[in-house]
Amino acid sequence: MRWLNHDRVRAVSALRRVRAPARLAPLAEDPCEGRARLPELLGAEVARNRYGEFLRVRQWLAEPEPLEDAEVLPRLLRTPAEAEEPGDSKRWLFLDTETTGLAGGTGTCAFLVGLGWWERGGFRIEQLFLRDYDEEHAVLLALAERLEERPVLVTYNGKSFDWPLLETRFRLTRQIEPHPPRAHLDLLHPARQLWRVELGTARLAEIERHVLGLDRGPDILSDLIPQMYFDFLRGGSPEPLVPVFEHNRGDLVGLATLARRLARLGNAPESGGPLEQYGLSRLFERAGDRAQARRVYQMALGAGLPRAVGMAARRRLARLARRDGESELAQSVWRGMAEGSEDAEQGEDDAERKQTLEAILEACEQLAIHYEHRERNGQEAIEWTRHAIALLVDAESGFGLERRVRDRWRTSLERRLLRLEKRSA
Amino acid sequence: MPTFFIRRAGSPAAASLTDAVAALRSRQPEIAREDPASSIITSVCELPEREATLTPVPEWVRPELAAAYRAKGISQLYSHQAAAAEAIRGGGNVVVVTPTASGKTLCYNLPVLNAILENPDRRALYLFPTKALAQDQLAELHDLEERLGDAFAVFTYDGDTPADARRAIRERGHIVLSNPDMLHAGILPHHTRWLRLFENLGYVVIDELHVCRGVYGSHVANVLRRLARIARFYGSEPQFICSSATIGNPRELAEKLAERRFELVDEDGAPAARKTFVFYNPPVVNRRLGIRRSYLGESRRVAQEFLARGLQTLVFANSRLHTELLLTYLREANPAPPGAPSSLRGYRGGYLPGERREIERGLRAGRIRGVVATNALELGVDIGSLDAVVMAGYPGTIASTWQRAGRAGRRTAAREGGCAVLVASSAPLDQFIITHPEYFFGQSPERAYIAPDNPEIFLNHLKCAAFELPLQAGERFGATSIDEPAEALESAGFLHRSGAAWHWTDEAYPADAISLRAVTSDNFTIMDTTGGEPEVIGEVDFASALTTVHPKAIYLHEGATYAVDRLDFDGRKAYVHQVESEYYTDAILYTQVRILEQAARKPAAVRQARIPDPALAGQRAAGNAPAAASHGDVLVRSQVVGFKKIKFFTQENVGAGELELPENEMHTTAFWITLERDLVAALPFSVSERQAGMRGLLHAIEAVATLLLMCDRRDLSAAIGERPPEPGRPEASPALEETADGRGLEEFFEPNLYLYDAYPGGIGFSEPLFQMSGEILDRVGELIARCPCESGCPSCVGPPESEMRPKQAALAILELLKQPSG
Repeated sequence: MRWLNHDRVRAVSALRRVRAPARLAPLAEDPCEGRARLPELLGAEVARNRYGEFLRVRQWLAEPEPLEDAEVLPRLLRTPAEAEEPGDSKRWLFLDTETTGLAGGTGTCAFLVGLGWWERGGFRIEQLFLRDYDEEHAVLLALAERLEERPVLVTYNGKSFDWPLLETRFRLTRQIEPHPPRAHLDLLHPARQLWRVELGTARLAEIERHVLGLDRGPDILSDLIPQMYFDFLRGGSPEPLVPVFEHNRGDLVGLATLARRLARLGNAPESGGPLEQYGLSRLFERAGDRAQARRVYQMALGAGLPRAVGMAARRRLARLARRDGESELAQSVWRGMAEGSEDAEQGEDDAERKQTLEAILEACEQLAIHYEHRERNGQEAIEWTRHAIALLVDAESGFGLERRVRDRWRTSLERRLLRLEKRSA
Repeated sequence: MPTFFIRRAGSPAAASLTDAVAALRSRQPEIAREDPASSIITSVCELPEREATLTPVPEWVRPELAAAYRAKGISQLYSHQAAAAEAIRGGGNVVVVTPTASGKTLCYNLPVLNAILENPDRRALYLFPTKALAQDQLAELHDLEERLGDAFAVFTYDGDTPADARRAIRERGHIVLSNPDMLHAGILPHHTRWLRLFENLGYVVIDELHVCRGVYGSHVANVLRRLARIARFYGSEPQFICSSATIGNPRELAEKLAERRFELVDEDGAPAARKTFVFYNPPVVNRRLGIRRSYLGESRRVAQEFLARGLQTLVFANSRLHTELLLTYLREANPAPPGAPSSLRGYRGGYLPGERREIERGLRAGRIRGVVATNALELGVDIGSLDAVVMAGYPGTIASTWQRAGRAGRRTAAREGGCAVLVASSAPLDQFIITHPEYFFGQSPERAYIAPDNPEIFLNHLKCAAFELPLQAGERFGATSIDEPAEALESAGFLHRSGAAWHWTDEAYPADAISLRAVTSDNFTIMDTTGGEPEVIGEVDFASALTTVHPKAIYLHEGATYAVDRLDFDGRKAYVHQVESEYYTDAILYTQVRILEQAARKPAAVRQARIPDPALAGQRAAGNAPAAASHGDVLVRSQVVGFKKIKFFTQENVGAGELELPENEMHTTAFWITLERDLVAALPFSVSERQAGMRGLLHAIEAVATLLLMCDRRDLSAAIGERPPEPGRPEASPALEETADGRGLEEFFEPNLYLYDAYPGGIGFSEPLFQMSGEILDRVGELIARCPCESGCPSCVGPPESEMRPKQAALAILELLKQPSG
């Protein structure tokens, strides 16, 4: 190509990097020597299979201990029915990857695949590492073999990130086709349900610190990880990789500990705090275990929930009870909500107040329906409807629902009142 | 075949169309017979009616497919449809040249659907230049899908496709309708998810091929390289099918774009209605200055001749603003009855899709009597045919003009025919076309060019390719071995070599930062500090930043004026604040061109290129010709040295300022004409008149070049400089860019007139310009000679400065340089 032989190629802006690569590590004095030092530095061995070599770090930890009654976890996660024995924790494979970027697409590579499983009363960790891109096939084959032994994946956000990325990498080999996992338990969703309200985040490291009581010690910023790997590839010294491996192990241990915690909560909801119980009951509800959901909602309410959460819990509980024909339970919950209508005035912010108000309006409406159709008590029905309208009118002057929502409520309540009054007259 | 047999109640008789044309003709002044320059109607061309050439549906078409088309009223094919279908069936790559409404989609739908019905694993990817076109095609294919009992599935995949629908499309879509931009940024970087499509990709259809030219075409060519590379990875080798409007080199363009051999199908078998094509030049009101009556006003008058006779009329304007203006004028002239909606509508980008569909339906049903549109209605959107089309201003290319004119002409049994009127503005290109009807109606001279190996574009797509699949040593991207460019990308940190392959090593996703509409994404952000906190209000590209947002400039944005406080060159930011300004600024730009490498050289007036003789390159003359044409690589240095303040409306010069801004360097390609010392010396003009003549000549050359290359005026830039003593030597004499205010004017003894590609790396215009230099000079001579102005005007050599005769000087130069060697 004519243009390339010219000095002008340096002026090409396609070659300019928007962000100059912040080299985090100094160049190794001798890149070959640095590479050779890597196994010792990491406590790794050189593994081989038919695609060639790669590095493998194996460790056995006494903690976390294996999980026995694990069946509850796949149930809580609504694992599809076709999955085979997802509750057999001996078949679980914990997985967490370190990648060259977060953007996804075919150009993002998992350079470190961290695996974990229960073994000999403790936790086995195996980390597969490509010292260069040409070792990727070997690493992927090793992963496929592990996955065959333990076909149930357990990850944190792996459904949207790690596993699609690995699927892409497998596809790109055009040779290695692993059996798809029998089931995939992604713990991000339940963790979010249980702890995000309380912690304001669902980052694994935060959950470890505040919920699981684990302390990782100093950890690296995960944003820096891709650049650390690129530096190493380009002949940087291997030392900065050590904390990357530690970080990955930390994630695996955290993941396994989290699985234990979730399973324990699932098996014994009473062991959790009220917010955890509320989150659990929502999981049970979503999973279709409505009896358990009702039980745990009540448990959480009994233990005392913050006002807004409590209102939401009562609303859900009442709806569940009505659907399951537990009319009396529904009645009493609604009555409690409707009678505590001064709650509507309080609340942290407008959003919360609106939510509370709507929950109370719903309770009044349901009570009116109940009295009208079940008890045939028109007068009581009229009372509850009037009560709701009064609340709505009060609310209009102070904090407000959006006009659309308010009008909808108002129309439906007034129509009901008109009908009831006509009938009783 | 989309033939539109629409009968409307109260439809005007063909007589009213004849009347309208007669009314237009009657505007021709008597004097035009002796003085062609005062002609208003410069041409009336009657295009006769043509019968369809029909052939039976080929035997290999599956009976259910033939039946589906029969049910749509198509039981025979036009000859070009059959020829295209056969060629595709035969396994070739095909480019079909089709005028508006000649049934081009059947050319590819028939063989592609047939292949899918034969093998349900087969997949096809259709690429349209706009989302609206893909939507139109979707409706057509859905109709066939229904008639065929859901035997195949078709989807659009673009920025509007909801995320939850995407998976189904990837798995189940037999035909995916998309656009090159989406292929570039949305599909190729995720090709593993499109396994089914790529493993079974049989056909790639590129609709409106002629749009893929210049910068955009050069990008698309690289996207196709990436597509072919991914398809190969999955073991497929798709056929390419392109459709194009009439241009001079459709096959060459297709072959350059897709880098494979193509068969050309260009014989049109569709029927055509009788049509009258009128060229209308607004009358001259000031002969000396070459001022004509406003073409917008004239377009309104012309359109009114049709509308007043109840003829359904489509008016094309070249900008959104003009669309709105013309619509307002025409509504005033045709008030709707009280309470009724106006039967005149506007149609342009920015209208909501629902509104557009409603207008399209209204047009087909005859409910809407007139539409003023931008080019949004030019490409294949289905609106049926109308009685008349009025074009306010030349659309820029002959191909577009024909596409717009193709909207006129009904083929109804009783009253048939249509009329298209082109109303010229005073721009050089418009004036050239309007006074050269033979040029327009003859074989298309327009040729589309691309430069897929432009270094910026090539490297950017090579990055994307590396992201998609590691680059293998020895691999080729286009015709180029990737080794050297990959090494360059490696040392810049984008790639890492492992074994025999280069891998992508950057966290960023390269396709995100690369737009197919620009050469580089090196832009300046405009920060408005009026409200305290800086707020981004816009972006300008690197090249325009120097002339539009230099310190003290007045920057125009959405009708408001902003003063530029500071230009942060390294941070690529310009800080502005809003002001009430009565003037705007015009930067004074000095441009200097240095020749780096001359690729070829020949006498300028020769129409066909000779094989460049290396012995001549670098010599002081090309033979003994009075002027030489050359092309090659150049370094363009430009610097903004000051600015003028120009008052709004009056255009008075109300002040000036000096600036010290960094110099900008650009490597690009150029075409240039060298005027020999003897020629310049022989000119019977003063020094300043000679300079004005050279500048005027260059002005006209630039206009003609944009015509022949189908490019935008901004794609080419012009400069004059003294010829360097020896090509390639670092020392070069200063040259003045044409916008310079005349300071430092110096005499050129042996000037080079440069026309360079306005993009770093060049975009492929220089060599074609070199090849056609003889033709260019002939056309330039005609343009200047036929212009009715006295001594120069914006329509030919640019406005004359006081007491100069640039027109005469330019003509004298042309005369001399065409003389045989002496």
